[in-house]
Amino acid sequence: MSIFTAINDFFGRVARLVKGGGEEALAKQKQQGKLSARERLDGILDQGSFFETDLFVEHNATDFGMDRKKLAGDGVVTGFGKVDGRPVSIFAQDFTVAGGSLGRAHAGKIVKIMDASMSRKIPLIGINDSGGARIQEGVDSLCGYGDIFYRNTRLSGVVPQLSLILGPCAGGAVYSPALTDFVFVVNKVSNMFITGPQVIKAVLGEEISQEELGGAMTQASITGNAHFYAESEEEAFAQIRRLVSFLPSNCLEAPPKVKSEEPAKPMKDEIVPGERRKAFDVQDVIRGVVDRSDFLEVHRHYAGNIVVGFGRLAGKTVGIIANQPRILAGVLDVNASDKAARFIRFCDSFSIPLLTFVDTPGYLPGIDQEHAGVIRHGAKLLYAYSEARVPKLTVIMRKAYGGAYIAMCSRHLGADFVMAWPTAEIAVMGSEGAANIIFRKEIMESSDPEATRAAKVKEYESKFANPYVAAARGYVDAILPPSATRKALIEAMDFAGGSDPGNSFRRHGNIPL
Amino acid sequence: MADKLIIDDTGYETVIPENALRKHLYHDPEEVKAFIPGTIVGVVTKVGARVKAGETLLLLDAMKMHNEVCSPVNGIVTELSVSVNDRVDKGQLLARVKKG
Repeated sequence: MSIFTAINDFFGRVARLVKGGGEEALAKQKQQGKLSARERLDGILDQGSFFETDLFVEHNATDFGMDRKKLAGDGVVTGFGKVDGRPVSIFAQDFTVAGGSLGRAHAGKIVKIMDASMSRKIPLIGINDSGGARIQEGVDSLCGYGDIFYRNTRLSGVVPQLSLILGPCAGGAVYSPALTDFVFVVNKVSNMFITGPQVIKAVLGEEISQEELGGAMTQASITGNAHFYAESEEEAFAQIRRLVSFLPSNCLEAPPKVKSEEPAKPMKDEIVPGERRKAFDVQDVIRGVVDRSDFLEVHRHYAGNIVVGFGRLAGKTVGIIANQPRILAGVLDVNASDKAARFIRFCDSFSIPLLTFVDTPGYLPGIDQEHAGVIRHGAKLLYAYSEARVPKLTVIMRKAYGGAYIAMCSRHLGADFVMAWPTAEIAVMGSEGAANIIFRKEIMESSDPEATRAAKVKEYESKFANPYVAAARGYVDAILPPSATRKALIEAMDFAGGSDPGNSFRRHGNIPL
Repeated sequence: MADKLIIDDTGYETVIPENALRKHLYHDPEEVKAFIPGTIVGVVTKVGARVKAGETLLLLDAMKMHNEVCSPVNGIVTELSVSVNDRVDKGQLLARVKKG
């Protein structure tokens, strides 16, 4: 064979393989409103940066007629690429090839780039679009999933792992994304569940549509399995690129530093209403503090009573956790605790300092909360903050009551710097509740209980509803007006330690899960 | 912001999202409810019958198994809200037993 024949033959092979499942299958993928695996890679990565591996991999299954089936790339496109010039490992399951089903060779390709993520310390991006296990391959397919889950876990805290769900992701397949740091879903494209609507109907008689059971909004708002929701695949790609811009490539690196820029909307002192029962939008506070007012919210549609996400202070990434008085008065509950705790642990894994804004009346009362395990879930928040060794800065805006005060990165959980606005109230509970307990007898025995109650509430309020009692004990380091917040935080960050070596002799702690 | 959330006797003006304060199914000890969705395949008791706590009242087929639905208290069956072949949802009222 001449060199030219060999090269022609090679190009012919490549041309066939990059077509995945072929024209017809690709057209069907389009029809469903989905991009192809290769279009997705192009959408996420810097232009022309995709470097493919294992295009020629084939399965060696023989049962059920598999020996006669050639599957292009075994249903997954894998390789490396760049996001803003920074290398990442990436894979995209190809639904047009045998429904993106996962066999041993398919899994082997993914495993190979996961191992590269570990040795090169570069982030992993996975695009999931698969009907599930390749049943013809039997237990080999399960081995493939297991190999991936194991590596997701070993990579956790070493490199950031991001998962896009761009099609079905059902049964065991859901657990790879679930083990990663951030899951992205797209309206009308994504679907995740362990057992689908048909099985649920057959076993329990409950009827529900696929979309309601495990569609994008369900995963973003009800289950919390998804951290980012987008209306289109393109929007999800932009979210991925934006998220990566805030993150280091691995746990040994510092997050990327960019030029410091003032907020577009600097914060004014009037940001907080004088009347403490009135709500305000904590997003305005966050955007009033971070560079360019640029805030990337995580879990926007889930547990809105707490807000978490990434921003920058003087060009350096910070992870922000803030009670949201606008939703449920900013109470802590099961979902808010889970949401914040997981975010805190991500930041601590990747050297991202924590910035906490506090305005919470406490924990949400209710049978539902108690029986849902608010004790166990609330404990995660205490654990995550206490364990975190990155710099921890806290701003107490208004209410910081009781256990919720402690939980929201108080001095007692190892905050490096706690500042309070003059409107802060650091107390065991609100004045009404406190007065009703302390002065119960006097109120009951009074000839005018209501007047006595009002007087006692006032008395308690004037004594404890301020930041000065806590500041007098040194629990608060500084009291400053809202407009001085950004400057104080930037200066404090330079002095924040986050250097506690921790218990390096222990294997790991036992976070209440 | 029309909603008000009361914590420790203070009412906060805020938004209470739908389902955020899902009322937990209040457990009335005299009510017998389906603990799993399924089909009623047997009614063992009748209204007016005196029953002991733990005595079988109904048979509920779910997850391919016959489950016995028992009286929560000693007392008299005052209401049977289902009959054989009825499909029932989780939490649906099946019967009432008046203590005594």
